Amino acid sequence: MKTHCPYCSLQCGMDLERVGRALEVRPWPEFPVNEGALCRKGWTATGLRGHRERLTSPLVRDRATGELRAAGWDEALDLVGARLRGLRSSYGADAVAVFGGGGLTNEKAYQLGKLARVALGTSQVDYNGRWCMSSAASAANRAFGVDRGLPFPLADIEHTDVLVLVGSNLAETMPPAARHLDRLRDHGGHVVVIDPRRTPTADRADTFLQPVPGTDLPIALGLLHLLDAAGAVDEEFIESRTTGWDDVRRAAAAWWPERVERVTGVEAAQLRRLGTLLADAEKVTILTARGAEQHAQGTDTVLAWIDVALALGMPGRANAGYGCLTGQGNGQGGREHGQKADQLPGYRMIDDPAAREHVARVWGVPAETLPGKGRSAYELLDALGTDGGPKALLVFGSNIVVSAPNATHVRSRLDDLDLLVVADIVLSETAALADVVLPVTQWAEETGTMTNLEGRVILRQQAVEPPEGVRSDLDVMAGIAARVGSPVEFSADPEEVFAELGRASAGGRADYSEITYDRIREEHGVFWAGPRLFADAFAHDDGLARFVAVEHRGPAEPVDPAYPLHLTTGRVLAQYQSGAQTRRVRELPDDGPFVELHPMLARRIGAYDGEPVVVTTRRGELKAPARVVDTIRPDTVFVPFHWVGTNRLTNDALDPSSRMPEFKVCACAVTA
Amino acid sequence: MRTVVVGAGMAASRLAQELPDVTVLGDESHPPYNRILLSAVLEGTHSPDALAMPLPEHVDLRLGTRAVEIHRDEREVELADRSRVPYDRLVLATGSIPTLPPIRGLVRMDGRLHEKVHAFRTLDDCHRLDAAVAHARNAVVVGGGLLGLQVARALSIRGLATEVVEGGEHLLRSQVDARAGAILGRDLKRLGTTVYTGARAVRLDDRGLTLDNGYTLETDLVVLTAGGRPSTALARRAGLDVRRGIVVDHHLRTSDERIHAIGDCAQHGDQVTGFVPPAWEQAGLLARHLAGEDVTYDGSRTVARLRATDLDVAVLGDPERAEGQVVEVTNPVVGSHRKLVVRDGVIVAATLVGDLSRIGQITQHYDRGTVLGAREPGDLLMGERTAGPVALPDDAEVCACAGVSAGRVRACSSLDDVRATTRATTGCGGCAPAVRQLLATRTLEGTRR
Repeated sequence: MKTHCPYCSLQCGMDLERVGRALEVRPWPEFPVNEGALCRKGWTATGLRGHRERLTSPLVRDRATGELRAAGWDEALDLVGARLRGLRSSYGADAVAVFGGGGLTNEKAYQLGKLARVALGTSQVDYNGRWCMSSAASAANRAFGVDRGLPFPLADIEHTDVLVLVGSNLAETMPPAARHLDRLRDHGGHVVVIDPRRTPTADRADTFLQPVPGTDLPIALGLLHLLDAAGAVDEEFIESRTTGWDDVRRAAAAWWPERVERVTGVEAAQLRRLGTLLADAEKVTILTARGAEQHAQGTDTVLAWIDVALALGMPGRANAGYGCLTGQGNGQGGREHGQKADQLPGYRMIDDPAAREHVARVWGVPAETLPGKGRSAYELLDALGTDGGPKALLVFGSNIVVSAPNATHVRSRLDDLDLLVVADIVLSETAALADVVLPVTQWAEETGTMTNLEGRVILRQQAVEPPEGVRSDLDVMAGIAARVGSPVEFSADPEEVFAELGRASAGGRADYSEITYDRIREEHGVFWAGPRLFADAFAHDDGLARFVAVEHRGPAEPVDPAYPLHLTTGRVLAQYQSGAQTRRVRELPDDGPFVELHPMLARRIGAYDGEPVVVTTRRGELKAPARVVDTIRPDTVFVPFHWVGTNRLTNDALDPSSRMPEFKVCACAVTA
Repeated sequence: MRTVVVGAGMAASRLAQELPDVTVLGDESHPPYNRILLSAVLEGTHSPDALAMPLPEHVDLRLGTRAVEIHRDEREVELADRSRVPYDRLVLATGSIPTLPPIRGLVRMDGRLHEKVHAFRTLDDCHRLDAAVAHARNAVVVGGGLLGLQVARALSIRGLATEVVEGGEHLLRSQVDARAGAILGRDLKRLGTTVYTGARAVRLDDRGLTLDNGYTLETDLVVLTAGGRPSTALARRAGLDVRRGIVVDHHLRTSDERIHAIGDCAQHGDQVTGFVPPAWEQAGLLARHLAGEDVTYDGSRTVARLRATDLDVAVLGDPERAEGQVVEVTNPVVGSHRKLVVRDGVIVAATLVGDLSRIGQITQHYDRGTVLGAREPGDLLMGERTAGPVALPDDAEVCACAGVSAGRVRACSSLDDVRATTRATTGCGGCAPAVRQLLATRTLEGTRR
């Protein structure tokens, strides 16, 4: 059965084959994004099938013992329905909150937004995509008038001249994508990687810049300065296809290379070489990822890099431009169809009267009954159980207590809830705190669409029967809707829901109305709005792209004598996100968290490779073995975030526009 | 509250763009521009069009206006045309003025500079020199400081036979020691520029520029870069406390609480900076202070970087006067001199000449006052070590995508065998060279064990 990997946004094609009772992963070479290549996460993706930790019965917290006990579906759903109705009548509709995920299928993401707005009538719905690519999304909307992670197929990068990766470690986080880098270099192209760590991706680059965490923005300003100084900006493009260059030019005049060097730690000579490389190239592609985006100034950072792409006249040109490498499996689709606090399906804004009218008509309810804008993900969690904050939370597809920043605080918010309901496949760290746990189907047990990092809508097809006792998320949502007195019925059939999603998104920025399951099967996925955007016009009404002038503010929590080091976080190849799935796959190595630090720093504090060190921030501490490597800056330590503990350290300072927390840099101290 | 800023240079314009209600009085005719890039414009590596740093619309910018008097009692600034501008707060950002060296013949009878002589401070100076370069064959730069070296390199790159005259015993004498200065001198010589140190220019006439050692340098151009001093005349006349610069406190306030001073004209403690980054720090801080924030200024850390093609110089703080232990590496063979001054584990000053490696890291440590381990200063000064090739042990992971060890690859007979049995090389493809290498050396490795 042709399907796609359950993990990252590359959504590699794979073929699932039944061999006796086993389900085996086979290559699907015809699918163009990965051409049969997979990483070990993909090869072992069936490892959760029949897993002993798989939940097969709803769990309800017993009042007497305080423990979770097995319950029937009707008992569990009736309980949820009754409690939700009670809280709603005591405190109002916004007393119930819904939290989704970027790993949910389009159908689920769509249905979750509808469950919140129609069945529950709450404005309080958001999702963990805020912690993924939201900064790139808000920047792209501002600059181009539309947010599609890559406005071109990924393979286009093979034919660019210079590829700049800002804060992306794709060789480890989406390995099959790295094949495109090698082909680009075979074609004579040049790869630039910008990262505080010399990652496996950096090892495959021709140019590597290693800035202080949180300083990608001044690097972009420094490049704009150099391009302008060299007369290398595309005047004709700027004149005919953009607005706002003068303000950007003024901002960039203040960032000569030696000033950039002092702030970023990147040598002026290196920046000049990169400036010359970009100035001389005919086709430049700039891609950002979490390293550039997960900052309290993430949106501005992406805008600065888009400014570089625009100054060079690249967006809309073949094999050139700007794009974001989305992280989560359905990071793209998940942000398009209404599980976000400010959006309705089709990437419509919830405060736009015409959008409300259109969507309400599809949903069969009066537009005035739709709630307005709610809180963003972290602000929502921060408000839980407080005066005026939600009293109940429904969680689908997210392991909040591991993945949220400042996790100790978030845990305390969950503790103050009257009701926590979690739908998951295993008893994740978050599910373990719930009052009601609802076991759901996963991946190969269900059908649904995802939208990959290129905006290509693909189809995951059911290959096996789910275990007895579990239900699909759509089924669960329908069950809850019915029990809270929803004015309309909720379908549990993915293809039906997809068709409805198509109608709801019709005419929106992300319009799926022409896409069907059959077309996806026939065409190896279907791009919404076509494979390539911006050749003739950008998506703003006037067709022009916007330069946006930005200034560098620096990390929200600068280092100081008490916390003298930068802490940054990220992923390792063999694990995925909060690890709820991958930590349970036997074939994937799970050595727990570790602390990467430079030999110079290790000697300073007396740390030895493999021996434990303690990382402390203003919010928490983590003890883990040291990994002494010369690939990291001596003033920075790195901890992967797949395990409990890392996000007790991270900072919850938010980007003013995307509401992205500053996962990628905070101040810490390390002791041996 | 109306703020009036005297001066429209780098510090003034930085401050003005942060303030809501502000008038800027500038004596040049150009809107604010990035002064420190003038030598790059002269060199031809920076487009003159890209210098502009225009102020936002809300700023009342008056160009070609000179302030001649401050009437502190009336809180008014008097301009050259006798008109007056009232203020609630006055900020002096008058910068510095170049000092004219005592060279006979430099100034003509009418008080103007000799036609061959150029100052190099303003955009007009730069344009004038730039125009003169086209008709000149050679040039003498008077002054071997940072600006002098930048201008000398620029003129040399423009094709002029260039000589530098420095009165001190070595180049960059206010920043670096004699060994660093000697390395720079050799670098310049290698680049075709002759340097005369310990020599003063004393006379300019038709034969050329005569030095006190008896040499006469024939030249078409003489560029004066021999330092400047804080422009304090206005403050002095107004009776403000002035020493080397206009004395300011930790709120950048002069002896009159309604008058502040920032940038090159100001003196905080013993410090008169002369660089843009501290001037901008002061401007940013003063903007916040004027907005009512509780902030104080306690001096700046300075990093001086020479911006000239093929000359590598960085000076952090004041390495010749800072107290501490000196860790240094000098390599006259390759022409590098690297010195850290360390006190209680903290880098308090540094000189890097001829080899800027790790400058980004050293500057970060210096700016943040990082407490280093005992061996770190030495490690920071040494070049990167390159490790030799190491044979991979059998349990070393070669392919991360599929989780394949070197031993498993060695057990395979061919690349196809590797692909089929281990899936190594089929994911990201990054391990392909290592796998080929392992297969090629398989027999050898096997027999060695």
